[in-house]
Amino acid sequence: MKDKLKKQLNITNLLFIVFLLIQLLPEQYSKETYEINIIIFVIGIQVIYLLLSFLNKKEEKMETIQDIIAILYLLIIIWQLLTSKSAILNELLFPAPGIVIEQFIADLPKILEGIQSSIFIIIQGYLLALVTAIPLGLAAGWHIRFGNSFLYVSKFFGSIPPIVYIPYAIALLPAFRDASVFVIFAASFWPILGATMAGVFNIEKKILDSAKTLNVGKLSMLFHVMLPAALPEILMGCSQGLGISFILLTSAEMIGGKTGMGYYIKYYSDFGDFTRIVVGIIVLGVVVSILTYFFNLLQSYLLRWRQ
Amino acid sequence: MSKIELKNVTLNYAERKSVFTALDDVSFSVKAGEFVSIIGASGCGKSSLLSLLEGLNFPTQGVITIDGQEITGTGEDRAVVFQHYSLFPWMTTRGNVIYGIKQVNKKLTNQELTAIADDYLEKVGLSGFENKYPLQLSGGMQQRAAIARALAMSPSILLMDEPFGAVDAKNRKILQELLLELWENSEEKKTVVFVTHDIDEAILLSDRIIMMTSNPGRIKKEIPIDFPRPRTGSHLLESKKYLNFRKELLATFFNDISEKIGGEEVAL
Repeated sequence: MKDKLKKQLNITNLLFIVFLLIQLLPEQYSKETYEINIIIFVIGIQVIYLLLSFLNKKEEKMETIQDIIAILYLLIIIWQLLTSKSAILNELLFPAPGIVIEQFIADLPKILEGIQSSIFIIIQGYLLALVTAIPLGLAAGWHIRFGNSFLYVSKFFGSIPPIVYIPYAIALLPAFRDASVFVIFAASFWPILGATMAGVFNIEKKILDSAKTLNVGKLSMLFHVMLPAALPEILMGCSQGLGISFILLTSAEMIGGKTGMGYYIKYYSDFGDFTRIVVGIIVLGVVVSILTYFFNLLQSYLLRWRQ
Repeated sequence: MSKIELKNVTLNYAERKSVFTALDDVSFSVKAGEFVSIIGASGCGKSSLLSLLEGLNFPTQGVITIDGQEITGTGEDRAVVFQHYSLFPWMTTRGNVIYGIKQVNKKLTNQELTAIADDYLEKVGLSGFENKYPLQLSGGMQQRAAIARALAMSPSILLMDEPFGAVDAKNRKILQELLLELWENSEEKKTVVFVTHDIDEAILLSDRIIMMTSNPGRIKKEIPIDFPRPRTGSHLLESKKYLNFRKELLATFFNDISEKIGGEEVAL
């Protein structure tokens, strides 16, 4: 029992107490700041954290969670100290955390709709790139002579910032949705293609020899041998493509969209509504982090054979 | 008729400005069910020779036949065990064996495939490791799995390219005797061509040793091994005949190496 209590003497719990103490300071912003929201949020996180630390046995994983929560607390404390608790920052440009949560709850339906629209566009463009770039990359990697010249072609196209395709996309595909799908496709296609070809080039020759001595057929060679052998590099390209997709889609939504989080931020920035801009930025960050997290899970599942 | 026949086989590799002769006028034959070891120092062309038998490479001159047919590529009659990378690291041990069987027999159901695979894995002592990935196994266990896959494909010829070269000394002994046991007890004796640089290994396993010299790769001597079977390493070591024979072989072997490279130390 003593040990368990001693374990609770850590930076995360310390910061939690600091946060609670800060709430005793008087508010300096003139408008309502809904501080109760952030207090409930932090207490909620703390409850989850305590539950996890009592239930979870894996020390290593717990340490990471603990550190992430500590950083989160620290950011919230700094945010509060600079805004509502001191008014050092301009009230109009820098909303207090409580009011951001209040706005988030109020706009939730609109936000969910925006996220859904963005994710649908990304999935379409990205899947299209996956199903074309990977087989093409495998085939090109196979025919080495063809592949060599193709590698330069893909490097050339890959080096063009995909945002330059936007004018063409808009001219050819007047619907914003279609144009966005096209741009996402064009942006993620080249890194995935390049990574697939590089992956095939770098397959250990002895692996291919071993497959040949088994008399493997052509299709099986492509999809049962070359694809998994090149998968580590292919996934690197996929992760790169996914990252570019989000940057591009958000830009596209800010330039010409009527949906999505990029549009949400752009729309309210025209009104100088900085509370909503902050809401949009945080939501985008969280959505991208969650997607990246699931992508990494999928990646470590697919590569579980690598020790 | 011989199972495998090489007639005046020469293999040249084109280098930037010259031609490197890996094999020069090599001729020999292997009978069906015979265990032949090819032995020689690194770079004597013994692995090149095996790649010709595997069908991964073709002779510049000369002819290689199996059952009287010229080799035109890889074939279902041959299974290969390499020193490394025989197995696919993304397939489990069982998955690797099943994938091998599938290439020679596409009609089996999943249940039948699993049964055959597990049977062969049991034979090589890998029961309980069916669902492990190769990288989770030791080098010796990987080679056991590779042997299981090769046997499960029921080839008539087994080609082995220094299969135990990367395994520690103790496990190498165990694997050699396992291979002997599997080979001696199989219903239809397989023809084995076994490449190694380990003289003791070659004597223990083979009916005949083909000793090669390097630069260019040529056959130096063919030595029949007539120690009675079944053999075990410990039995051989007790016999005086073996010790004398081994000494003689080593002398021939070293004599050649010192001739060729001026007495430099060579890892055997």
